[in-house]
Amino acid sequence: MPDRHDEEHSEEGSVGLADLGDSIDVGTFEQILEMDDDDDRDFSKSIVFGFFDQAEETFVKMDTALEKKDLKELSALGHFLKGSSATLGLNNVKDSCEKIQHYGQKKDEAGTVDEKDEDVCLSRIKETLVTVKDDVADAEKVLRKFYADS
Amino acid sequence: MEKGPDVAGSSANNSSDFVRKLYKMLEDPSYESIVRWGEGGESFVVLENEKFTKSILPKHFKHSNFASFVRQLNKYDFHKVRQNNEDNVPSQYGPNAWEFKHPEFQANKKDSLDNIRRKAPAPRKPAQTVEDPFPQQQLELIQSQLMATQQQLQHLSERYEDIAQGHIVLLQQVVNLQKFVKNRDGVMQRVLGFLHSVDSQRRNSRVEGQFSNGSGSSLGQGDPMSNHGTIDDHPASPLQQASDLLDEFSAENLPNKDLEHMTQVYNLRADYSSPPTDPGTVLPPPPDPNLSYPTGNDLDNNMVYPVGHTNGIDPVHSEHINNIPYSLPPNGMLPSAPMPEAVLEDTLILGRKKSLTEPIWGINKPTVLLVEDDKMCARIGARFLQQYECGVEIARDGLQAVNRMNSGTTTFNLILMDIIMPNLDGVSATVCIKEMCPNIPIIAMTSNIRADDIDMYFRYGMNDVLPKPFTKEGMLKSLQKHLPDFLKNQQFQAQAQIQHPGGFSTPTTTHPPPLGLSMQLSASQAKSIKDETSPGKSPATVTSWHSPSAMTGQSPVGNGQVGFMSQPMRDHPYTMTPPHPSQQSVFPPPNVPVGGPRGGSHGRVMSDLSGGAPDDHPEKRQRMYPPPNQAAGFQQ
Repeated sequence: MPDRHDEEHSEEGSVGLADLGDSIDVGTFEQILEMDDDDDRDFSKSIVFGFFDQAEETFVKMDTALEKKDLKELSALGHFLKGSSATLGLNNVKDSCEKIQHYGQKKDEAGTVDEKDEDVCLSRIKETLVTVKDDVADAEKVLRKFYADS
Repeated sequence: MEKGPDVAGSSANNSSDFVRKLYKMLEDPSYESIVRWGEGGESFVVLENEKFTKSILPKHFKHSNFASFVRQLNKYDFHKVRQNNEDNVPSQYGPNAWEFKHPEFQANKKDSLDNIRRKAPAPRKPAQTVEDPFPQQQLELIQSQLMATQQQLQHLSERYEDIAQGHIVLLQQVVNLQKFVKNRDGVMQRVLGFLHSVDSQRRNSRVEGQFSNGSGSSLGQGDPMSNHGTIDDHPASPLQQASDLLDEFSAENLPNKDLEHMTQVYNLRADYSSPPTDPGTVLPPPPDPNLSYPTGNDLDNNMVYPVGHTNGIDPVHSEHINNIPYSLPPNGMLPSAPMPEAVLEDTLILGRKKSLTEPIWGINKPTVLLVEDDKMCARIGARFLQQYECGVEIARDGLQAVNRMNSGTTTFNLILMDIIMPNLDGVSATVCIKEMCPNIPIIAMTSNIRADDIDMYFRYGMNDVLPKPFTKEGMLKSLQKHLPDFLKNQQFQAQAQIQHPGGFSTPTTTHPPPLGLSMQLSASQAKSIKDETSPGKSPATVTSWHSPSAMTGQSPVGNGQVGFMSQPMRDHPYTMTPPHPSQQSVFPPPNVPVGGPRGGSHGRVMSDLSGGAPDDHPEKRQRMYPPPNQAAGFQQ
């Protein structure tokens, strides 16, 4: 049961959790790992890879919505991905998604100030989308390594 | 008048030098053209200011400063007699005359000069210093009061917006439910029609076989009313009863267009306040794109969060939750026919995995309905729950959840509800579910946990909030808090609770017998009926049943709002006593498009809160349909 070992000794940074880097909130991700059965990581693995599939789909939808200048859809998609990324503890992804959600509502990134100009919102989303894709790619790299190792 | 100085000298101890000098000066007749006693001798007049200053003042007062002379006079409490220039009455002494007066300073009354004293300067100075900070304090006090009042007003207007939003959602809900009922009604009509046709076939086949088998079934799906008309002899009595029931309900309270109109009115001012639903989850009826997730609502801008007590989770609200859901209509408007498609998609995952945790429940394990559109979150949530030995069922959106509850095949003990979901958002679903099962705890599971969001969740009947991403501890706490009857040491109550599930079983008994058949309609059929229920069909079909539900639905809503509002206000630190004009400037104008039945109580609450007269334009507040421009007028 090498994975159990990793999990329990993650503080020591041997393998596993400590290698996840800053972009993943270990505490949150640990909760997912805790849901695994004793002898394998199938559950969390399926969740995590399920997320990356989901992110991929969502990005496609976002690109389409961006072309259509559909701010509402973008906001909804941002919200959607925000939820699942937050569940995994992918904080960077979550933050970017939240920004997209707000931009889509014609607000500033914190969602507090109105931004009337839709083009501004769209270009902001476009920028953020680049970032969030990178963030997801980074997280995927780290997590794939994590699951390959363990 | 002569010899004055001598007498004055004798009283020098008492009267002041200045006054004596003044008196002496006035005794000199050579000054008459410059300064003299006024008419009647009760005042004196300086006729020629310049000459007086230059020639007389130096002689008597050793200076030639008219201003100091006046100052001196003032010290002795002489007062300038004002000329009424405004009245254009020229002074009797000429336009440039200065007339001074002191009650004790009169010609021929030299003795009374003793009574003219310098106004005590000594006590006055400290008085001034004392007085000075006093208005300062008062000013600060008033300022702080003003601030408090402003905050109060802001709070109230904010509260009002909340309620206005809530009202929109409720209106949507009501309209929604009406449509739902209409659909059901349509289904029933069809079923009845079908049964009638079958029934008449049965009878006719005995006589002459008027209907072939084929025509009978096609009529059942097509137009039930025409078929209904052809029945001239005696249909089976349960059928007749059912038809009568249907007709009875359709007869009373015909189309309730008011509600729809109200929603439209709200749509017009959607930019002022938008309902808390997501673009993706907007309820079916309102097509207005503005009625979406709070985007540009003023709430965000006007918010003074830390002010007042609405910040964070206010457990007070939960007390009123049960007031909000509409009472069930007498004939059970939500029949137990499920939408088959939805149920099929539901996933029943029960105890797939052994629990890793300490068992917390007694003999009976709770069953949880997890409503979550994100598959990942749903899986994780379900996993969590399974580890706590809960039965879990997942619904993918609010609609599925409502249908799942409707179907009644599983008794759920708790619902974890995502908020933003397609088809039907969590808040709306909560309202629907609470109507059927007012006692089931519903926990909002969301990342939207701003204070006003949370406020809203509670207002619409949710019992708790579990912020996303949820933690194991948070979820466990919620479970324990809201399922106390299932805890290990609570077994007796657990059994009691199981015997009283949701509380929506009674209505079915009053259903007309044929209703059960509607369950056999396929989903596509149900859908087609849905589309057809526009006013085109038989009016009886369309409108029956929905009115009672609307009527019973609405007034409890109003009461719920009232209760909700007055409670927090009662313990508010400030007492509001703004004058009415300012009250009106902050509160929306009286002719807000508030719902008719609700309008009265709403208005009353507002004025109660403000301490104003309760009858502050109640008649206007009840006006329901103001012109759009007026509605727009009260955006702040």
